[in-house]
Amino acid sequence: MTYFFQLVVSGIVVGSIYALSALGFVLIYKSSRVLNIAHGQIIAGGAFIVYALTVFVGLPIYVSFVASMVITFFLAMSVERIFLRRLIGEPIISVIMVTIGLMSILNGVIYLTPFGSLNYSFPEFLPTTPISLGGVSISWTQLVGVIITALLIGAFSWFFKRSTIGISMRAVSDDQFAAMSVGISVPRVFGLAWAMAGLSAAGAGAIIGNITGLNFETLGAFGITVFPVVILGGLDSIVGAVVAGIIMGLIQQFAAGYLDGNWGLNGTADVLPYIILLVILLFKPHGLFGTHEIERV
Amino acid sequence: MSANRFFATGNFFTSYREEQRIFRTHLDRGLFILFLACLFAWPLFFDASNRTMLVINNILIAVVAVYGLNLVTGFAGLISIGHAAFVGVGAYTVAGLAWAIGEGHPLIVHWWPLMILAAGGMGAVFGAFVGLPAMRLKHLYLAIATLSFQMIFTWTIKFMPTFNQGQMIPVGRVVWIGGEVGRKVHYLFWYYAILVVAVICGLMVRNLLRSRYGRCLVAVRDNDRAADAMGMHPGLTKVYAFTLAGFFAGVAGALHTYMFRGAGFESFTLHHSITYLAMAIVGGLGTLPGSLFGPAAIYTLELQMEHLSEWSGTFLPDSFNLATALRPLGFGLVIVLFLMFEPRGMANWWRICRSYVKLWPFRY
Amino acid sequence: MKRNRFGYLAVVMAVAAGLACSAPAVAGETYQLGLSLAITGPTSDAGNPYSKGVEDYMRFANDTGILGDAKIDCPIRDDMYETAVSKRNFEDFLDQGMIFFLSYATGANQALAPDFTEVQIPVIPASMDSSLMKASPYIFLPIASYSHQYVGVAEYVAANHKGDGTAKVAAFIHPSAFGRAPLADFEAAVAAGLKLDLVEVVEHGKDLDNSALLQRLASKGVQYVLCQTVQSPVATLLNDAQRLGMTAKTFGEPGKITFMGAHYTGGNDLIALAGTAAEGFHWTTSYRVTSEKGPWTDWQLDMAKKYGRDDKTANSHNYASGMMAAQVAVEAIRRTREADQKVTKETLYETLNQMNGDKVFTSLAAVGPVTYSTTDRMGVDNVQLYVVKDGVFRSVGQPFKPKYLK
Repeated sequence: MTYFFQLVVSGIVVGSIYALSALGFVLIYKSSRVLNIAHGQIIAGGAFIVYALTVFVGLPIYVSFVASMVITFFLAMSVERIFLRRLIGEPIISVIMVTIGLMSILNGVIYLTPFGSLNYSFPEFLPTTPISLGGVSISWTQLVGVIITALLIGAFSWFFKRSTIGISMRAVSDDQFAAMSVGISVPRVFGLAWAMAGLSAAGAGAIIGNITGLNFETLGAFGITVFPVVILGGLDSIVGAVVAGIIMGLIQQFAAGYLDGNWGLNGTADVLPYIILLVILLFKPHGLFGTHEIERV
Repeated sequence: MSANRFFATGNFFTSYREEQRIFRTHLDRGLFILFLACLFAWPLFFDASNRTMLVINNILIAVVAVYGLNLVTGFAGLISIGHAAFVGVGAYTVAGLAWAIGEGHPLIVHWWPLMILAAGGMGAVFGAFVGLPAMRLKHLYLAIATLSFQMIFTWTIKFMPTFNQGQMIPVGRVVWIGGEVGRKVHYLFWYYAILVVAVICGLMVRNLLRSRYGRCLVAVRDNDRAADAMGMHPGLTKVYAFTLAGFFAGVAGALHTYMFRGAGFESFTLHHSITYLAMAIVGGLGTLPGSLFGPAAIYTLELQMEHLSEWSGTFLPDSFNLATALRPLGFGLVIVLFLMFEPRGMANWWRICRSYVKLWPFRY
Repeated sequence: MKRNRFGYLAVVMAVAAGLACSAPAVAGETYQLGLSLAITGPTSDAGNPYSKGVEDYMRFANDTGILGDAKIDCPIRDDMYETAVSKRNFEDFLDQGMIFFLSYATGANQALAPDFTEVQIPVIPASMDSSLMKASPYIFLPIASYSHQYVGVAEYVAANHKGDGTAKVAAFIHPSAFGRAPLADFEAAVAAGLKLDLVEVVEHGKDLDNSALLQRLASKGVQYVLCQTVQSPVATLLNDAQRLGMTAKTFGEPGKITFMGAHYTGGNDLIALAGTAAEGFHWTTSYRVTSEKGPWTDWQLDMAKKYGRDDKTANSHNYASGMMAAQVAVEAIRRTREADQKVTKETLYETLNQMNGDKVFTSLAAVGPVTYSTTDRMGVDNVQLYVVKDGVFRSVGQPFKPKYLK
């Protein structure tokens, strides 16, 4: 039974990291209907900035964590301004491909830094002894990760529900023309959505980087890894991202815990999300919480 | 109809039949035949190095694959981020069989044209299967469905002993009139083989687009409800677009296996799917010449970036990793710049050139 | 279309004859080599320092005149871990007249092996997969194969396990050809009498949390996890084990798990990724590491300084690995020249095959001499066990040769 609970705890930890990463997709998609495939690179970039500020510049890690969020906030905003602004109204394939091109460009930029091919790990700033409760254990890194995720997601939800800018962002996602007619600057909202996605990516990057170490391959691949989560939750729902993230984390942990090693199966946690993804697409294409917008042919 | 079918300077069609000719003027046809003759003849006059031939063969294989991608994404408007997986299906049809019955089995080395066709057929079957979600899904969601096919394909290859768990499966040297094709002529031989296949496939696509089925694809892309109202079945049309794409990809995959003398999963990953998409976009989505320009442009770009990075390495400090960064940077920039400034791709430049020549000395 | 093989042979012989007529070892000759490896893309964290090692040693050889007035030209190309690009680089190098090829990944070597045999060019790969030696007689592994390193670790476990009964081990491997490479030999060693109980083979994925795996292994009584993969997954595994309090503080601590691994699992990159969780990790390789000072490591650090490499590169065992591959190639050329032979693919191959008996080549970079013969194309046969102590790798015992491998 302890085994089961440990799986649940691990699943929730992994799931909340997924949720935070998926949040970046959702924020951008919600307002501008763009699927940002380069999100993994932004996550990696955020993590590297935290490291660079902490180790190379010598700031305390908490300060550099916040500073990194601020930097990615503006970076993502300028990315939107430079690359995406021109493509408003272009067919969806162009927009997807631009983010793919962006992914390649960001790869190139990161290869310019030492992080492109060398490995690092964050200096330890949390106790290494795990918190144990009845045989189920969770490390401080993971606990702090979950708390930060919860805080960030809570903040974003509040922002969308209550603040004026958040409401105008929701208005844009509902109907761009109507939003424009009441005086909302649609391009500004798009820029802001990217900026906030960048901010959440830096948070996710710092947390993942603390768990896996800073390896560009691992961090950059994360953008694709959370795809199934995004689709499961529905592309435009923050709640969906959270729920789907945790569901996917649990599924992966249970697959690793109960399927792997039996019947000659291995590495099922890697492929299962995509199989689930296909099934969801066939039966519930808008995901669990997404807006119903798919037309039948 | 102008009196002169050699130098028509505008549209003079008086019937649909005329409009649907493969070549508008005799001049077009003549130039095309001349171009083909050059393609076939140049290796006789220039002694190209193995490396050059390898690059050219790679381009031609990519051309065949991009025909398929262009059909499904360009003409039918269905985004496919899993095209490399279809190419992989074709490649592994040959390689898997070679693994099962031996790399030198007569079926593999003597009946290779048959194997290429079979690989195309297998690609088509998988294409049809993966295309099924297209009956229900659109746009982004379909793109993600093809992405998950890509992921599942790679996983399957990597874990199944039938496919040597993703390790290289060798395929023997093929036999042609006069015996085994040795190392010395390997690339030249496959240049001709791939060229013939590419030309046949190109004519197939061109003819398809002249037919009812080709117009069906375009109609469904532009407005599937209107197409439905006109009596076409959009769902089926999409599935068969994927089937065709799968066929061309499968053929390309088989050619890849034979040319590289084996198949390993590294050549059919998500990265390659993205590269195929980039080729289609840089060439020009929804155009036939685009399928030729795209692969050529992307491969040339890659080679030039390689040169540039080597050259920059001679005077830049080592700690500055510019050399390694150049390739992804260049690749990404080209895609983004094309999308921002020439979304219709290089085929559009070709169209402008043609119409300029056609109307010369008048400007339009 | 088809020209027969004899035509090709005739051309080769004509060229060879023509070259033979010209004077051997012409002054100021340039020898064309080639290195194709992953500087970007997967495994680039190993490929990058490796390429620096090759580059620096070649420069050193040219600067100090190891080959007299002859020079070496060794272009280095990035293949992004892609077989197709490796093949293109290989053909390109051949067109430039390459006589010795330095290659990289297991997959690319398997794909190119038939070509190596046909072209008859000696090759030193960075991959130490023993199946490569079977794939082509022209592939020379620089050091002990993955199988040797892996079985070496296993033998250490069998010999030093204190508890009652046979030690229960699990294999934690990369889901690829590279990861599965030593498994068959390991199972053969167990069949041949190595006292170990292989409980489970785990092919890992991109997991963020290995709690499930670790607890399952613990419940099966596994005490040793033998890894054959790259550093990043091992680091995640070690972090999780530390969190669950499962990491053995000393070797074989009862009720805990001792983690061990072969060449590419270890090195300073692992410590960089896993931090304190790496403590107690056992690692085998044939190279010397800079944390154990010696004449070689001083020289390695000097070289890195001389050519302006950063600390990480200078202390990387992959840097040493690249240097040694280059050393072997340069040494083969030097010996061929010394024997007053024309330096060609064929003569280099001969020279390499004669590196045995009193002609062994001792590179200080490794813990044993490089020996090659027509039947043994694995360079250094010895492996050295290291363990992480206080954030650096310390050697355990003397270099040894695994007994249970033929």
